[in-house]
Amino acid sequence: MKRLAVGLFGALFLAACGTGGTTSTNTAPKSGGTLKVALNSELRTLDPLKSSQVVERQVYYNMYDSLVTIDQSLKIKPGLATSWQYTDPTTLQFTLRTGVKFHDGTDFNADAVKFNIDRYMTTPSSTRKSELASVKSVEVTSPTTVVFHLKRPDASLLAQLVDRAGMILSPAAIQKGGADFGLNPVGAGTGPFEFVEWKRDDHLTLKKNPNYWVPGRPYLDQVIFRPITDSNSALAALRTGDIDVATTNSIADKDIAGIKSDSSLVYKDVAGLSFAGFEVNSASGVFADKANRQAVAYALDRGQIIKNVFFGVHQLSRGPIPPSSWAYDSSEQIYVKADPEKAKSMATGFSFALKTPNGPVPIQEATLIKDQLAKAGITVNIQVEEFGQILTEAESHKFDAALVGWSGRIDPDGNMYGWFHTGGSFNDGQYSDPQVDSLLEQARAVSDQGQRKTFYDQAQQTLVQDVAYIFIDHGPAQDITTAKVHNLPLIADTIDRFAGVWKG
Amino acid sequence: MLQYLVRRLALMVPVAFLVSLVVFSLIHLTPVDPAALMLGEERTPQAVAALRHELGLDRPLPEQYVTWLGHALHGDLGRSIRTDQPVVQAIFERLPATLELGFAALAWSVLLAIPLGTIAALKRGSPIDVLATGFTIAGVSVPNFFIGILLILTLSVGLRLFPPGGYTPLTESIPDNLHRLILPAITLGTVTTAINTRFTRSSMLDVLRQDYIRTARAKGASWRQVIIGHALKNALIPVVTIIGIQVGSILEGALVTETIFSWPGVGKLAIDSIFGRDYPIIQGIVLVIALAYMFSNLAVDLAYAWLNPRISYT
Repeated sequence: MKRLAVGLFGALFLAACGTGGTTSTNTAPKSGGTLKVALNSELRTLDPLKSSQVVERQVYYNMYDSLVTIDQSLKIKPGLATSWQYTDPTTLQFTLRTGVKFHDGTDFNADAVKFNIDRYMTTPSSTRKSELASVKSVEVTSPTTVVFHLKRPDASLLAQLVDRAGMILSPAAIQKGGADFGLNPVGAGTGPFEFVEWKRDDHLTLKKNPNYWVPGRPYLDQVIFRPITDSNSALAALRTGDIDVATTNSIADKDIAGIKSDSSLVYKDVAGLSFAGFEVNSASGVFADKANRQAVAYALDRGQIIKNVFFGVHQLSRGPIPPSSWAYDSSEQIYVKADPEKAKSMATGFSFALKTPNGPVPIQEATLIKDQLAKAGITVNIQVEEFGQILTEAESHKFDAALVGWSGRIDPDGNMYGWFHTGGSFNDGQYSDPQVDSLLEQARAVSDQGQRKTFYDQAQQTLVQDVAYIFIDHGPAQDITTAKVHNLPLIADTIDRFAGVWKG
Repeated sequence: MLQYLVRRLALMVPVAFLVSLVVFSLIHLTPVDPAALMLGEERTPQAVAALRHELGLDRPLPEQYVTWLGHALHGDLGRSIRTDQPVVQAIFERLPATLELGFAALAWSVLLAIPLGTIAALKRGSPIDVLATGFTIAGVSVPNFFIGILLILTLSVGLRLFPPGGYTPLTESIPDNLHRLILPAITLGTVTTAINTRFTRSSMLDVLRQDYIRTARAKGASWRQVIIGHALKNALIPVVTIIGIQVGSILEGALVTETIFSWPGVGKLAIDSIFGRDYPIIQGIVLVIALAYMFSNLAVDLAYAWLNPRISYT
C-alpha cells in the first residue's frame, strides 16, 4: 500500500510543485518555541543498553551525553570527558567534566561512568557488548578520572564512545526505573533536553534542560518527535508546517528535487557513513570464481543507478569508506565507469540469483542491474524476499548475491573489520584474504591517523580489486527543515542535534 | 431471547480459540526470526541466541502456544517482543483512537448513504440518481490510500484547511481532535459509504415494488409514513447486514488509513507489529478483531428482530 502510494503521490507532487530558491537568514538566536521532528519509524527503547535502531539515536543524542562527541569533520571532541590520553596502548584515561548534574539532580562523576560501562558490558541483553569488546575493565581513580583497561590496543574505541556505548545515564534513575526504564527514562540524562513523556506511535516529548552544562543552550523550550512511517505523509506534514524537521531518510529520494525548489523549505546534505550495493558469496557458488565477480563489477553502470534509482541524492561508491571519512581514498578508480567489453573479457555467459528486499526502490535497482549486466552476457534472476529473511539466509551463506548495505560507523574500522576480515561478524560472503586481515588488524593497533589511513588504503585497494562486495553508492546525511529552523548542524552520522537550534 | 444470547456468547469461546490457534500457526510459519530482526546491525549469533532465549522463542512451538493460552485465559496476552509493553496495555492504549476513527467513518457513511440511497431510489433516473450511482462506482473502485493522498494533497497541502496527519486526544482538545479526524474519517468511510448507498438504493427499489407499499398507499397513508415507516424500515435489513460486516472492513481499512495519517491506533500498531514479527501483539490484535467481528454480527442479528418483528429468536 505504502509502496504503491509512493509513486502516485510523487507524480502528483512534481506536477504541483513550483520553483524557487532556498533561503537562510543570519540573525541573532531566539529563545523559546517548540520544534516538531518527524522520525521515519517508532523507537523501541530509550535505553541505550538495548538499542538496535538507528532512529533511536535521533532522540538519545538530544537527551543523553556521551563521554566524547564529534564535530562536522568527524573529529573526536570533548563531551562529558574534557580530555583523554593513552598512558600506554592498552590504558585509556579520561578526565571528566565537573559540575555536571543529571536531570534528576544527582551528580555526574567517575562512579556513574563505571556504572554505565559495566552495565553495557555485563548485562545479558546488552547490545553494546561488541562495541566494548576491547575493554577489559573500568577503574575509578578519582571522582573526575576514569581509566579504561583494554584487552588489546583498539584505535576505534574512542569513536565507539561517541555513540550509545559512551552514553552516561544517571545510575539512580536507572535503578528507580527498574524493568520499565527503557519506556520511561525520567531524569536519566545530562543532555540539552529532558525526557517528559512518550506516547507510543504518537509523540515523544523532551523539554529544555535549564541547567545544561553548555552555557546559554539550548534555545528551544521543547522538542516533540513524531514517528511518521509514510514518506508522503512526512512530506505533507513538512509542507504544511505540521513538522519543522524531517530526519535523514524520512523523505523519499524522488521528492528531494521538489524540496530543493520549495522556498519555504531548506535542504542540505553531505555524504553519510553508509555504503550500499550487494554482497557476493565469494566462498561458494558462481561467485567463488573471482573473474565472475570482477565481470559484474566492470559491467555495472553505477552512475545510471544513482541517477535513475536514487535521483542523484546518493553518491558513487569507490569502496567501503565514504567521502565523509578521513580515511576516504578518492584515487580509487577501477570500477567508476561501466566497461561491458572489459567485463566480457573477464567472464560472461553465467547467471546468478540476486536477493532483493521487497520494496519499490530495491526492486527498481535490481531491475536496472539486471538490464545492465545483460549487456555483458550475464543473467540476473531477481529474487524478491522480505529483508529479515534475506539477512537470515545471508548469515548462513545461502546466497549468490544480496542487496544488503551497511549504515556505517564513524571510525573506518566499523566499515571494514566486521565486513571484510576473515570470519568478521557481517562477512556473509566469507571473503578472506590474509593480507587484508593483517592490514585491518594493524589499523586497529596503531593510533596515528596517517598510519591508519595507509593501512586502510591498501586494504581497500585489495578488496575492491578482489570484489569482496559490489560497491554502488553511499547514502546521504540530510537536514530537511522548514525555513524557520536555524543553526542545525549537518553531520555525516545522520543524527540531528538540537542543542544549538532556534526557531525564527 | 436471553437463551439465544447466552448460546451465541458461549459459541464465541471455541471460535476465539480456533482463531488464536490458526493465527499462532500462521505467524510462526513465516521464516523471519524476530530476534534477528530486532537486533538489526547488532545481530551477532550470540546476541540473537540470548535474545531468543529471553523471549522464550527457543522453546518448542506447542509449549509456546500452551503457555500463551494459559496466560490469555487469565487476561494476560503477554508482552510485546519489540517494546516489552504488555500487549493488553498496548492495544487498549490505542483502541480509543481507532474506535473514534471507526465510528466517525461509519457514522458519516450511514448518515450520507441512507438518505442518498433512498433519494436515488425514489427519483430513479434523475440527475441525483446518476450522481449517486457515479459516486458509488467511484467510491468502491478507488482504493482508500489514494483517496487519503488526494485529500492530503488538495485540502491539506494545497488549501491548508486540515492538518495532514497526527492525533490529538479528545481529552486534550476537542476542536483540534475533530479537525484532525475529518480527513482520515472521510478516507476510511468512503468505500463503505459507496457500498451502503448502493445497497440502500437497490433494496429500496425492491421494497417500493412490494404489495404492502401499494396497500399502504391505497389506505391513504401519508408519503412520509409510507417511505419512512413502511419502505425504509424494510429496506434497511440487507443494509444493516452489510454495515455489520463493515465493522470488520473498517478495521482492515484502518491499517492503511492510520498509516497514511500517522493516526496512533490499533491498525498502525498491527502494521508495525507484522513487519517487526511481534508475535504477541499480532495475536492480541487478531483476537480483538475476531471478537469485534463476532459482537458486530450478534448486534446485526439482534437488529433484525427490531427491524422485522416476524424475525424472533428463541
